[in-house]
Amino acid sequence: MLEIAPLAKSGADLAVGTKPHIGAIIGRPVTLSPAAPHSRWSLRARDPALLGSALGRALPDRIGTVLDGIARLGPDEWYALLEAGTALPVLTGLPVSVVDVSARALGFTVSGEGARLALERGCPLDLARLAPGSATRTVFETVEIQVWPTAPDAFHIEVWRSFAPWLWHALAEAIV
Amino acid sequence: MILIHCPYCEQDRPEIEFTYGGQAHIARPHDPAALTDREWETYLYIRANPRGLHAERWRHIHGCARFFNAVRDTVTDRFTVTYKTGEARPDGGVA
Repeated sequence: MLEIAPLAKSGADLAVGTKPHIGAIIGRPVTLSPAAPHSRWSLRARDPALLGSALGRALPDRIGTVLDGIARLGPDEWYALLEAGTALPVLTGLPVSVVDVSARALGFTVSGEGARLALERGCPLDLARLAPGSATRTVFETVEIQVWPTAPDAFHIEVWRSFAPWLWHALAEAIV
Repeated sequence: MILIHCPYCEQDRPEIEFTYGGQAHIARPHDPAALTDREWETYLYIRANPRGLHAERWRHIHGCARFFNAVRDTVTDRFTVTYKTGEARPDGGVA
């Protein structure tokens, strides 16, 4: 007899998990968990020295590196991932942009011996070369993410809010 | 998977992080009103279509988000060189 499988879930049914999802990939344990809330800031400036002095913070020099919670994403772009509640100064009259984007993204933590394998399911970047102290934007399948390694086998993932439920389920599927 | 060297990130990164941006080194005319229809048509629509090396714009959209230029062989799909926007084509080619 022909059996018809129930229809796949629609995207609207997906939600970000509130509890850690514990599993393994190729026998190596992985834990996927929602990260603590953060304060997030998008920083843009042509002149890094001007932005740094206006904020009163040191900024990372090289693209792809992190200094005190601020990552340099591009030649004129930085992203600050700070403890929840941390505010950066409001700047006026300067050719820099400091925007609070805390509500734009969610954070996940992928940790454990198989953490890199789980991310490699959808991320084409050579993650073995991404050491703690670096951070970069990249993609998971077709979803743009940021990868911040926090330890040799732990990664903080930043993902835009609307993509987060899908990414959570994609990662959870990978670490059954 | 093709790896493309981003001149801003100074790393070889997977092709899926990039988007293609058309032929490179096409300067917008300073005074479009002074152009004849033929010159304007050439600026807007006429592009090289070489079999071989081609200078083109790429954008590292899922990385540093910057446009840069690359010389790619349209037959083998190999990138011979990538360089920052505003720099002259390093291999001296024309197409």
